[in-house]
Amino acid sequence: MTRRDSPIRRARTSSTGLLFVLPALLALAMLIVYPVIDVSVLSVTDEGGSFVGLANFRAAVASPSTLAAVRNTAYFVGASIVCQVIAGTLVGILLNRRFRGRGLVRALVLLPWVVPGIVGATMWAWMLHTEFGIINHLLTATRVTTQPIGWLTDPSLVMPALIAINVWKLFPFVAIMVLAGLQAAPDELYEAARVDGASFWHEVRHVMLPQIRPVLVAVTLLLTIWGLNAITIIYTITRGGPANRTLVVPIQIFRQAFESFQFHDAAALSVMFFAATLAIVALYLRVFRSADEGGVR
Amino acid sequence: MRQGRASAGVALGITLTLVISLVPFVWMAISSVTSTRELYSVPPHWLPHAPTLDHYRTVLWASNIPRYFLNSVVISLGSTAIALVLAVFASYGFARFRFRGRRAAQAFVLVGQLLPTAAIVVPLFVILQTLGLVNTYLGLILVYTILTLPLAVWMLTSYFRAIPVELEEAAIMDGASRLAILFRITLPLSLPGIVAVVVYAFVTTWNEFIFALVFAQDASVKTLPIGIAEFMGEFTTDWGAVMAASLIMTLPIVIAFLLLQRLFVGGLAAGAIKG
Repeated sequence: MTRRDSPIRRARTSSTGLLFVLPALLALAMLIVYPVIDVSVLSVTDEGGSFVGLANFRAAVASPSTLAAVRNTAYFVGASIVCQVIAGTLVGILLNRRFRGRGLVRALVLLPWVVPGIVGATMWAWMLHTEFGIINHLLTATRVTTQPIGWLTDPSLVMPALIAINVWKLFPFVAIMVLAGLQAAPDELYEAARVDGASFWHEVRHVMLPQIRPVLVAVTLLLTIWGLNAITIIYTITRGGPANRTLVVPIQIFRQAFESFQFHDAAALSVMFFAATLAIVALYLRVFRSADEGGVR
Repeated sequence: MRQGRASAGVALGITLTLVISLVPFVWMAISSVTSTRELYSVPPHWLPHAPTLDHYRTVLWASNIPRYFLNSVVISLGSTAIALVLAVFASYGFARFRFRGRRAAQAFVLVGQLLPTAAIVVPLFVILQTLGLVNTYLGLILVYTILTLPLAVWMLTSYFRAIPVELEEAAIMDGASRLAILFRITLPLSLPGIVAVVVYAFVTTWNEFIFALVFAQDASVKTLPIGIAEFMGEFTTDWGAVMAASLIMTLPIVIAFLLLQRLFVGGLAAGAIKG
């Protein structure tokens, strides 16, 4: 820059900036750094405060429900993300077309994401109710099935049902981000493709997908974090049941700490959960970093 | 011809998306004014034969929901205010100054956004208990601040950066202080960003579940999500009342969102894409 002598340049190099930033940093340190240290200490001590090495970790891992929780979490997060990204991208591309009332449609499509998770849970739990739910009524009335389906009670169906609710809740977020990415592209890009006689799918594949790639990279990372932390829908509808079929790690931590009052086992599980999350994020950023010019930095 | 087919496809896709997105809300609204007897009739009535406000009466006069509503308002407003003030200063610092450790500090804020909340709920509980803040408004307001602060800083920083620095330079030449510049020039110019942050922070805290579940165990501070979860009994559930309570909780969010969605979506997208 050539503004070497301007006062703002001098001001910039002073420590004033740090003063502006400091309150936020202190708040985050108090409520994030300190808890992280504290949970680490809790995880290697017992109720009396004496050091017990890895005993809490062994106890947490040895519990069969922890293993189930890890498996369920991987299933829930993985399946949710795949469906959310596919559905969200499709809808984002749709919303990028010009049609009447697009502003209103865009706002309405976002509603599932905006409303509280608990409301999403109650609405779907009622619609999926085995005896009185509207969905089973539709299915039996149209003779798709003869018996009502136990969406939220059948052990093999309950996880897919929860994943579907989770996808419904979050695909609008993906769609709106994809839309923003598409609209950031200069119009010439699309016009050039059309002049070349590109088909719609050709345009999607060679113009749109490269354009939204950074957005998808960023969004997928957020979806991963949110998925790992998801508890509202699952806890409200099933509390982790039936027979631990929908028990995920956050619920397991909650149960150990606040239902069994085994704070130190819960802390050990928290530390492992935290480390696993960090590892996933680090790996993810490493894989996508190089191509991620416009995305989250 | 091709144009016609394409727009028919778009119309179909849009209709399908809208149906999937909105039908649950419509059914919630209908169920909330259907009597319990009709709710449990087979086959169900698509529209109630005798619409009733009984469920709203139950929720408003015979439950803790009004109190929880008040708690939610106080806690969401409090934590939004704190997050906004901290984020305005931090974002201005990040956007307009170069100082040692700035990159590290920004990375630290970003990590805050990526932190798994479930992993710190146990130590946060211990800390709040030590400070005597479990079951208090202040305790929940504080923990909610960390949920929203990182993204708020991120969004506002990109907003401030987009404002031409020349405006501020002129003011500095005239001898204005940094704070005066922030409040008289930068903030008025970033109103859309401020609105986006406020809506984001309010909606996030209004909707939050797990922190509320752990840190608010007394009716005097419980928030709406917990109240509704309590309505969903383990064995019997009063579905009409649940739908009425859900609708009451959804309404403020939907109204605020529909009024402000242009600003909100714009700010969010800017934060994500510009980085």
